[in-house]
Amino acid sequence: MKVSLKCILGAALVATASAAAPVAVQAQDYPHDSVTLVTHSRSGGGTDVFLREMVKYLSNYVGANLVVENVRGGSGAKAMAKLATSPADGSIFYGTTPTFINTSLLAEPDYTYKDLMGVTNVFLDPQIVYVRSDSPYADLSAVVEAALADPGSVIFGVTTPGSLDRQVMEKFKALTGVTSPIVTHDGGGELLISVLNGTVSLGIGEIQELTAQLEAGEVRLLTTYTLDRLEDFPDVPTAREQGIDLVINKFRGIAGPSGLPEDILGAWENAIQSVLEDSEFKAWYEAQSLVPFYMGSAEYNAFLEDFAMQQQAFFKEYGIVDD
Amino acid sequence: MEAIGYAWSALTTTPAAFAAVGGVVWGILGGALPGISPSITMALLLPFTYTMDPIPAIVLLASTYVGAEYGGSIPAILIRTPGTNAAAATAIDGYELQKQGRGGEALGISLVSGVIGGLIGLFCLVILTKPLASVALYFTPPAYFSLGVLGISVIASLSSGSLIKGLMAGIVGLMIATVGVDPVSGVSRFTYGAPELLGGIPFILVMVGVFAVSELLVQASRPEAKTSGKRQLTIRLPSWAMLRRLRKPQLIGSGIGLFEGCMPGAGGSIAAFMAYNEARRWSKHPEEFGKGSPEAIAAPEAANNTVAGTALVPMLSFGIPGSNSTAILLGGLLIHGLQPGPLLFQRHPDFIYGLYSGLLVANLSLFALGILIITPAVWLVNRPRPFLMAGIFALIFSGIYSIDNTLFDLYLVLLAGLAGYIMRLLGFPFLPLVLGLVLGYLIEANYRRSLLLTGGEHRVFIEDPISLGLLLTALLFVVGSGLRDLRDSRKRMRERDSKN
Repeated sequence: MKVSLKCILGAALVATASAAAPVAVQAQDYPHDSVTLVTHSRSGGGTDVFLREMVKYLSNYVGANLVVENVRGGSGAKAMAKLATSPADGSIFYGTTPTFINTSLLAEPDYTYKDLMGVTNVFLDPQIVYVRSDSPYADLSAVVEAALADPGSVIFGVTTPGSLDRQVMEKFKALTGVTSPIVTHDGGGELLISVLNGTVSLGIGEIQELTAQLEAGEVRLLTTYTLDRLEDFPDVPTAREQGIDLVINKFRGIAGPSGLPEDILGAWENAIQSVLEDSEFKAWYEAQSLVPFYMGSAEYNAFLEDFAMQQQAFFKEYGIVDD
Repeated sequence: MEAIGYAWSALTTTPAAFAAVGGVVWGILGGALPGISPSITMALLLPFTYTMDPIPAIVLLASTYVGAEYGGSIPAILIRTPGTNAAAATAIDGYELQKQGRGGEALGISLVSGVIGGLIGLFCLVILTKPLASVALYFTPPAYFSLGVLGISVIASLSSGSLIKGLMAGIVGLMIATVGVDPVSGVSRFTYGAPELLGGIPFILVMVGVFAVSELLVQASRPEAKTSGKRQLTIRLPSWAMLRRLRKPQLIGSGIGLFEGCMPGAGGSIAAFMAYNEARRWSKHPEEFGKGSPEAIAAPEAANNTVAGTALVPMLSFGIPGSNSTAILLGGLLIHGLQPGPLLFQRHPDFIYGLYSGLLVANLSLFALGILIITPAVWLVNRPRPFLMAGIFALIFSGIYSIDNTLFDLYLVLLAGLAGYIMRLLGFPFLPLVLGLVLGYLIEANYRRSLLLTGGEHRVFIEDPISLGLLLTALLFVVGSGLRDLRDSRKRMRERDSKN
């Protein structure tokens, strides 16, 4: 009954957090008692779980009661519309993922990422390449070598066609001159099956999706597209170490309506920095292999703009959007 | 023995049994409301499970799934409004029976078949998880493609009367399935810049439109008919003779549900429609299908309730959710720090057997709760027609609106309803349309993936043994139904000749 104890502890923490909130309000003087954090993810989805876990601790640091609200529909378009039409007074924020930029570029929603502004970044999810344990490939160089010799013998599996990992593989092909096919799937789960049954030679994804198979020794990691090696997997080399200059930034952060005042931005920048240091939250996100990557508002906005430019260029190059 | 010990202690020392019953009740209610899919019903409960023990929490969610898969058939039969995607197959013959005043009987058949399907699914989950888990591994893109072709091959035999109309409806269904993001290249197709269309047109909107809205339009255009004869006001459980007749369709349904549940991406609606098709193919009375056949209810209901059990196979053994509903279950497991996958069975046997025993309670209580809940439901649909129709309109539109809180969906349902109305006037069958819609994505995506894998070689479809087997079966059925039609028409001609 270890787990139930954890639950009780969790509940107690939530209780303490809400009890402590009024005190914090006085300390930090946050102008709202309760703040909505919108996500386009469904309940139990990746971003939803992350936000709900974070608000347990973050409420305390912001000095307000944070509530997560799922606004689904239109691949984030509804959530963006809700944010863009809400007052920029610090009462409502948005949990960002690359989806909201992609939807802005792929469709013509009434409101786009340009109607929002970045507040802070929180995490970068490492994108990794994995193979079945008995795969002949030891590293990326071996994959490139085999693919150059016989392009049809190596098949790259990626999740969905508009996903960041498909872009990674397309860029990988462009950088290495490999012409092997890229097979898209309906999601990370389907891709994992394809890797396990040998339909594709390798897959690209996130560590959280592979935890069980990694532990059982059914798959192994070939490389990581991060700047540095991952703490939990010190033996897995980065792509850059293997001479392939690819670093992927799948971000998770906070955005809000355009024109948020300086004091609100400052309050959130401080709160996010503090929550990343919170030992309990740290234990959770380290178990999930999330890499904390704080960026303040100015830096984050520049990052988002740059990311959007890269996406736009990619979508045009591969005919996904018209010029 | 150890397993029984775990199961017993889960039932006696945790509130798992209460969670099972509560989940089924909540599931039936959510499933019965059009637009509230099983996954939404489960998602609404998810926050409440945060503070519960893991076993009752997951039993609660899984039981909700069981209840919702059954609940969807209640409005499907009574008001031709499928409460869930999977119940659309039940709506076809269920509503025909309801029109004939046999609604109570239809509900009884659906309940019994659902419970039998659920128990078969659970049995297979418990006994066969290991071998079943490998089903997903044998299915490669060519096999998925051929599975879709087998499903769609039935259009030939379903369009009795007019093959051309059947094919036209099927093609329209396939066309609707192409809306949204291209499965391979990612290009947006036929979305005209509308973000609502990026994810494609949801099945439930088309189904509710063509089945329910078109029926309301037809009803509204008719003067109120005197209720003919006395209507059944209570559920009627099938007799022994009927149960014997239903055994075959139920087994067909469960068999299909067994495999569809184990494969990611297939899910309840494809299983239900394939079960309908196959039950018709193997029935002694295929001519009754579409006109109120009890077998046509038994097969899809057994199928979608079997899926509610076997869908847990890939979720528990790989950690791969095959549908939205199992994705929420997965979320529930992760919240409690349980990582599904190959090691879950070794590390947490108490959890696994607790879940199984909870599901057993859920399926058994489904039977009792189904009987209890049906009487008020039948009473409700026997209210005066103007009230009833206004109420159904409100129910459908509020349900659809609640999916994504967007008016766009309401317009789509109205459009689909209007199209369905016109199809009925012109005598087009619905089933091929729905089949095309449900299977279109599966067929297209896997056809193109297969060709990507082989660099454009079509040989792969006959080289993959599973794919070859499925394609040959499809061919056999098409030729068989062609021959049967030929023989029937010859017979009719001979009869006509001999009369003259």
